Amino acid sequence: MSINNPQDEPANDVLPDVGSDVSPTDTVQIDTGRQWRRLAPVAIIYFVASSLKKLVQFGLYAIPAIAISFQTTSISQSRWFLPVLGVVCALIIVNALLDYLFYQFRVRNSHVEIKSGVFHRRHINLPFWRIQNVKIERPVYYRLSRFAVVILDTAGSANEEASIVAVTRDYAAQLRAQILNERSDYLAQGEMSEPTPTATPAADERIINTRSIKDLVLHGITNNRVWILLGAMAPFFDELADMAGSYLGRQGLQLEQIVGSDTIAWWQWSLYLFTVLIVIMAIMGLLSVGGALLTYYGYTLSKANDRYIRRSGLLSQQEVSMRQSRVQVVTIKQDWLDKLLRRANVFFEQNKTGHQPNQELMAPNKLLVPSVTCEQAKQLAADALPGSQVYPRTYSPITRFYLLHNLIVRLLPIALLLGAFAWYAKGYTELALVGGLTLIVMLIVVLRYWRWGYAIDDQYLYVRTGCIGIDYQILPLYKLQQVVFTQSLMMKRRHIASVKLVLASGSVRIVFLPESAAQALVNRLVYETESTSRSWM
Amino acid sequence: MDAPETDYHNAPVTTAQLPDLWTLETEALSPRYRWLNMLIVAVIGCGLLALLSIVRYQTLLSLPANLLATYPFVVTAVAVGTVWALAYHFLADPCIRFALREQDLVLHKGLIFKSIGCQPVLRIQHIELKRGPLERLAGLARLQVFSAGGAVHTFEIPGLPVVQAQKLRQFILSHKELNAK
Repeated sequence: MSINNPQDEPANDVLPDVGSDVSPTDTVQIDTGRQWRRLAPVAIIYFVASSLKKLVQFGLYAIPAIAISFQTTSISQSRWFLPVLGVVCALIIVNALLDYLFYQFRVRNSHVEIKSGVFHRRHINLPFWRIQNVKIERPVYYRLSRFAVVILDTAGSANEEASIVAVTRDYAAQLRAQILNERSDYLAQGEMSEPTPTATPAADERIINTRSIKDLVLHGITNNRVWILLGAMAPFFDELADMAGSYLGRQGLQLEQIVGSDTIAWWQWSLYLFTVLIVIMAIMGLLSVGGALLTYYGYTLSKANDRYIRRSGLLSQQEVSMRQSRVQVVTIKQDWLDKLLRRANVFFEQNKTGHQPNQELMAPNKLLVPSVTCEQAKQLAADALPGSQVYPRTYSPITRFYLLHNLIVRLLPIALLLGAFAWYAKGYTELALVGGLTLIVMLIVVLRYWRWGYAIDDQYLYVRTGCIGIDYQILPLYKLQQVVFTQSLMMKRRHIASVKLVLASGSVRIVFLPESAAQALVNRLVYETESTSRSWM
Repeated sequence: MDAPETDYHNAPVTTAQLPDLWTLETEALSPRYRWLNMLIVAVIGCGLLALLSIVRYQTLLSLPANLLATYPFVVTAVAVGTVWALAYHFLADPCIRFALREQDLVLHKGLIFKSIGCQPVLRIQHIELKRGPLERLAGLARLQVFSAGGAVHTFEIPGLPVVQAQKLRQFILSHKELNAK
């Protein structure tokens, strides 16, 4: 790999405006020169907040213990309580001050350098071209100031991530533009002579999609299904409570005694319980909607040159950008509730970096457009992957052997075995349970078989999966990383095979295809990847 | 997105004309790979049996009777497992075959569940030659090829003679597609 050697060192020791309080001009200088810079003092708040966050994360496990000790030994009354609390606070503040004092950075010759840490010193030197993504965040406590946090994301492991804690927003924006330009220059060094986009990010930025509060409320409702499930169970709560009550009664325990009142009848009490449950469910639903609003309030998806930029957030504003060429897969997800409301979530997925917990909605490698209409979903997909058309389109089904295999080879023996056990032990409720579960699994298998399909055109492979909801995945043929064709001896005899495609964003499987179709698919994918030699980034 | 390519052409390609993964001549791994695996299995199996027998027939400690009663069953299970693993390696290891094409690496494997993997060279991020102590003794090496698909999907060709593995690595490293970007 060739590396952008730093050009002749410009000997400028002029200190441009990075964190000082001089009003920003249009042309903020990126280079900070040879001298190390300190952050704006606002950064202290950031460090306090981050150590509080760490403390909470660390202390999460201790909460039950603390809660119990609060109950049993009134800690708050102890004369140690306040001094200890004071010391903890002081430690946090001192720690933040030290973090602030030991944090230095400079940006020069297309490199970002950061020195940080008090005991555990870290020196990060990141060339611009290695930075995959730049995120600008404005946490709540920065909202009133003009500062922002710049998070630099590299393709490597998670501990290579670096953030510049407090710079002005203008500087952050300029820095991002510069870094992304440099990166596209670097990528263009290959056989492609990509016209370098000029460093005017805001000029030709156009808004592709915005989400109204109504959309977000819908999103909140559709994306937390727990409370809906609970809601569906609500009519049975009373009976469940009765059953539990009679069970406890048989064990010689009277709930009335526990409640300790003769004036409130048993049925009244269960009614109270029911009300409480309803209230809890309503709160959970509201929380979900609130969460959606919190994260996605003021959602705009815009496009500047070849980059998508997502801005959203009620309290902490987030700005995430993703290059269009780095989209590996566009996924349109529609769960059953989404289907009822005729909405869909659209994900632009880029490569996974390091080991990230795969939180679906907040994953940094995915750009989500929440709860759009089906027509919008189609347009968004066509925007990211030009020339693609998800629907209407005929999808080739997978073979019926999927059903046979899953129902007879996999499900039947297990069901029979469990059923036989239950029969033998004369556990007829268990037998009914096994029967019910078997039916449910059968239904799921049939639905999955019914949904599973694929289609291929000049440029894209479309894969449709799902059970009750439908997921569509659209992937450019040439972005393949690896392909695996699998076949058991049984499948070979019946001329069936499965194909697994590995992409930088994850793998996609199409199972139980006719053998010839699978072979043609693999050959085609390999051909498209190798003959075009286009970059997947 | 991508720049307009000057040598753009878009002639229709029927799938029958495409290079085919199924009519490909593949190469075998080193025969020592199978023997090494079988030797490892045999040593571990015999070691376990020896250990069990030592514990059973030693006179220093007296063991509970019901533990002693399980001895024949445990020994049978270990022996059957060892034979099973030996048979598996004997039959399955020759099924692992690879092929190197101009643009990709191909790996066939599997006794009952057969798979054919294909790793285009231009998607390779980096390569490693791995050699454990036993592999070093046998003069073997494993070639690991990483793509952006992540560590789970590492493409590995085991049991290569060292010289051949180094040649393969050199071929991939000097491939023009890999150096394009």
